[in-house]
Amino acid sequence: MKSAPFEHYEPTTTNEATSLLESLDDPTILAGGQSLVPMLRFRLANPDVVVDINGIDSLDYLREEDGYLKLGALARHADVEDSDLIDERYGSFADTAPLVADPQIRNRGTVAGSVAQADPKGDWGSVLLAHEGEIVAEGPDGERVIPADEFFLLPYDTTLGEDELITEVRIPTPEPREGSAYHKLKRKTGDYAMAGVGARLVLDDDGRIETAGIGMTAVDITNAQATDAEQHLEGERPSADLFETAGELAAEASNPESDEHGGADYKERMVDVLAQRALGDAAERAGAVRRKVTQ
Amino acid sequence: MSSDRERAPDADTEYQHPEDDGPEPEKHCGHGRGGMGEEVNRKEDKRFITGRGDYVDDIKKPGMLHCEIVRSPHAHARVEEIDGSRAEAMDEVVAVLTAEDLLAHDLATMPTLMDDTQDVLVNEKVKFQSQEVAAVIAEDRYAAKDGAQKVEVEYDVLDPVVDAEEALEDDAPLVRDELDDQEDNHIFDWETGDKEETDRVFEEADVTVEEDMLYQRLHPAPIETCGAVADWDPGKDKMTVHMTSQAPHAHRTLFSQVSGIPEHKVRIVSPDVGGGFGNKVPIYPGYVVAAAASYVLEEPVKWVEERSENIQTTGFARDYDMTGELAATEDGEIKGVKVDVLANHGAYNAAAQPSKFPAGFFNIFTGSYDIEAAHGSLTAAFTNTAPGGVAYRCSFRVTEAVYLIERMVKVLADELDVDPAEIRRKNFIPSEAFPYESATGWNYDSGDYEKALDKALEMADYEHYREEQQRRLEEDADKLIGIGISSFTEVVGAGPGKQCDIAGIEMFDSADLRVNPTGNAVLRVGVQTQGQGHETTFAQIVAEELGMDVDDITVEHGDTDTEPYGLGTYGSRSTPVAGAAAAVAARKVRDKAKSIAANELEAAEEDIEWDRESGEFHVAGAPDRSITITEIAAGAYMNHPGGEEPGLEATNYYDPPEMTYPFGSYIVVVEIDRETGEVDFEKFVAVDDCGNRINPMIIEGQIHGGLAQGIGTAMMEHVTYDDNGNVTGGDFMNYLLPTANEIPNFETGHTVTPSPHHPIGAKGVGESPTVGSPPAIVNAVVDAMSEAGVSHVEMPMTPDVVWEKLDEVGLSHQPARNVEFSVEDGEHADD
Repeated sequence: MKSAPFEHYEPTTTNEATSLLESLDDPTILAGGQSLVPMLRFRLANPDVVVDINGIDSLDYLREEDGYLKLGALARHADVEDSDLIDERYGSFADTAPLVADPQIRNRGTVAGSVAQADPKGDWGSVLLAHEGEIVAEGPDGERVIPADEFFLLPYDTTLGEDELITEVRIPTPEPREGSAYHKLKRKTGDYAMAGVGARLVLDDDGRIETAGIGMTAVDITNAQATDAEQHLEGERPSADLFETAGELAAEASNPESDEHGGADYKERMVDVLAQRALGDAAERAGAVRRKVTQ
Repeated sequence: MSSDRERAPDADTEYQHPEDDGPEPEKHCGHGRGGMGEEVNRKEDKRFITGRGDYVDDIKKPGMLHCEIVRSPHAHARVEEIDGSRAEAMDEVVAVLTAEDLLAHDLATMPTLMDDTQDVLVNEKVKFQSQEVAAVIAEDRYAAKDGAQKVEVEYDVLDPVVDAEEALEDDAPLVRDELDDQEDNHIFDWETGDKEETDRVFEEADVTVEEDMLYQRLHPAPIETCGAVADWDPGKDKMTVHMTSQAPHAHRTLFSQVSGIPEHKVRIVSPDVGGGFGNKVPIYPGYVVAAAASYVLEEPVKWVEERSENIQTTGFARDYDMTGELAATEDGEIKGVKVDVLANHGAYNAAAQPSKFPAGFFNIFTGSYDIEAAHGSLTAAFTNTAPGGVAYRCSFRVTEAVYLIERMVKVLADELDVDPAEIRRKNFIPSEAFPYESATGWNYDSGDYEKALDKALEMADYEHYREEQQRRLEEDADKLIGIGISSFTEVVGAGPGKQCDIAGIEMFDSADLRVNPTGNAVLRVGVQTQGQGHETTFAQIVAEELGMDVDDITVEHGDTDTEPYGLGTYGSRSTPVAGAAAAVAARKVRDKAKSIAANELEAAEEDIEWDRESGEFHVAGAPDRSITITEIAAGAYMNHPGGEEPGLEATNYYDPPEMTYPFGSYIVVVEIDRETGEVDFEKFVAVDDCGNRINPMIIEGQIHGGLAQGIGTAMMEHVTYDDNGNVTGGDFMNYLLPTANEIPNFETGHTVTPSPHHPIGAKGVGESPTVGSPPAIVNAVVDAMSEAGVSHVEMPMTPDVVWEKLDEVGLSHQPARNVEFSVEDGEHADD
């Protein structure tokens, strides 16, 4: 890696980090480095100052607390992948982690860093959208909580302030009858998504869908929410027909472009397919029994 | 030595091992000394596994400087001005070099292997994106890169032409306007076979089929990129270049010719090479720049490419746009084959093939079949893309030829609605017809194609999958089954020298064997390993031929000051040519050993016999009066027979009488997701025949690696460009290589049909899997959809490409409707 020269700061507390962000001129934050380091190597990024947060031990956590699943800014994709808590209670997270890039990247890359990067082809933004997740940031004025649906603006652009540091991403802990899932289509291990869909369903006591969340990857300028599809699901009982319509609505809500990851029409169709698959898994994980019927 | 080597009762003097028709390849068939047929562990693995390999980038020399190349962001542009002053002002920057500096030393251009002339640094006009424009020499590689960023180049940007067909249109931008006689982008036309006869056969045929197919631009993408450390010694007037070279001696001759430094004052060393696959056969501007800089600055200069530089500028492979046609009788007898090709050669004609073969060995496109008439034509064009056309793990365009014929046979089988295995069987060159001369003039040495196919069909459980395929179609299942076959024939082992050359040097190869007084030996060869296991297999050849233990033989290669002249390793030529040289050199030593044995045993030389089984020399009729090669070696130096030269060594320069023709049958079963177009491998069977086998374990490793590369080719690899000539597939984010996750379990098998003209009956195997597997994979995907009328799917077959084909013929699926969800009332039990 032959980057241009830069100054490297290694704060060990969040306070130290935020005061560095405030005082330094145009600093760049280094967490897992899985997007930044390649950009440094290609000299697409030429920062004068890098604030490396890997020494802030207090940000290295993944736990349930106060009604949230909380991932500190240093929680790596591999931490999610290896977590028993995730395996037991968070289907979409358990689905997503092993689909992110490749094992080497997952060992270093962080969930919060991926969200901060705001690549529309990144996976975690869709999962946060499906779960009504939040981004917790520390800045000069203290802590700020940003709902995921108010976070993403444009490719690589978010509502995070230049002197703010993401300390945590979080989602509400599951309701009694909640299930979630993530489905992703890619050309090979390590490749970004051709398309991806995350879904979350909460069922009420009657077995109807009380809350639905759908987030989409790589089919718009940011990770995107399929609001019409969510509304169509709410108040209904899970069924193949219901999910088919929801899939169509999600596909309509998507806005993909043709590129090396496939044609726009194909991606739109795949949103439909992946949404139906994710909804089926989410319903099953919420307690619905899925069985094949002979036609 | 491992103690578990067993003696095979059936290994006779000609290594004509009875073929093993059982499911498992034989583990041992040698004599327990690590000779032919034994699975000896690779000698080179200790240093590679323990991180002690020595690659070019590991070399550090006192005072060594570092070179970074400034590259053009444009595909087609005139260089108006280069301002290196901001870089030169940096303390750590020693020099900024441009074409002007190189012109002063007559090093501004270099010949390509096809005798074109390529700018080392752009003189007037950039012809492809990332072409070399200037070079910064600095004290460390970071400063060199910083300096390169500070070099300011003013460009007058021109319209590029990227597509070969557009390049040949009248109003296309002229890529090579510096050439006086070049008025368009046409490079050459090439033709093979008998057009008149082939046209006649097509006119009279019951059935003809035609298919267009693109063998897309690939990059060999070796894990180690290209690089060099050039060290001009002004005291000795000698240039030493450590470089990533598959052909060190040929490169020495070319270096001498380019630089004017006499050849005896040029030393090329190719240390450990991290994969070559044909990418390290050509000379690249970076090597020349490093050497020129070292000459001018009188310090060692290192240049090592970054990954994207390697993919974007060094020799690509394939890029053949082909139209194939077959003519046949209605019962499937193939009468004729035609092919027309448009070849994109990039900005220079820099293909790496024998100079008399502008289209390489493409005319092997009659494949494994006895076809009476064949005709091929090809046009090559310049475009504003990187130059190349190297033989990526193949012999000179054989891969494209094999793809063409194996795809066309499937097209014909579908047209006639006959089983693709049966149509192959019907048309194979019969085993009794060898040696066989093809319609395009190749002399096939030996083959038994039906046997390999039968074995593959059995291993693949072919009938079962055919039934499963039908069942899925009848049930309208969500996943389709496709079964693909490729029964390929390769041509490898170039020379003969009268036919094949590099820049005029005939393609022989060499071995120099020296037995030491203490009974061990050093074998020096003119080929250069890049992972093929030469240090082990060539030692096995000598062990076999001299009755020595394989651990007592060291194989050296890669240093032109000590090794005998050779043409290098590519095109599966090392075993066919240098392996033969090693065997012949060992036999020469064996002959001399007889006279020493006679002296030691006090017998007449004509009474001395050598016993392959024991590896010992003995007096005829008195097996207990014997002597080992170790004792003979001592005798050669300490008690040599009067009237003879002392010592025990021999050299052989081997010019093969013919090429060798390895073959095989691969069967691939895929499962295709009708909702997404994703392709999964259900079964992957590879039966190879490379003649006599030296080390079955190494062969199997070669097969596995090559099949993985074949999967990359068929499923994901493609060097893509946009209309402006920007490389859009020029790094590992966008040039996709398969990982272990994409590779299925391979089931390998073999048959043994020795080459009749090779000293040890071997044929070469390294490239068979890369050549043979892509058509098997594409045939499998096509096969899943062929009943619906699909005749071809272009590579790389990413899910979107497959899904669009499924959708086109009405085979795409929505998620199943036959699913029901039921929810019990009340609290969810698990929570």
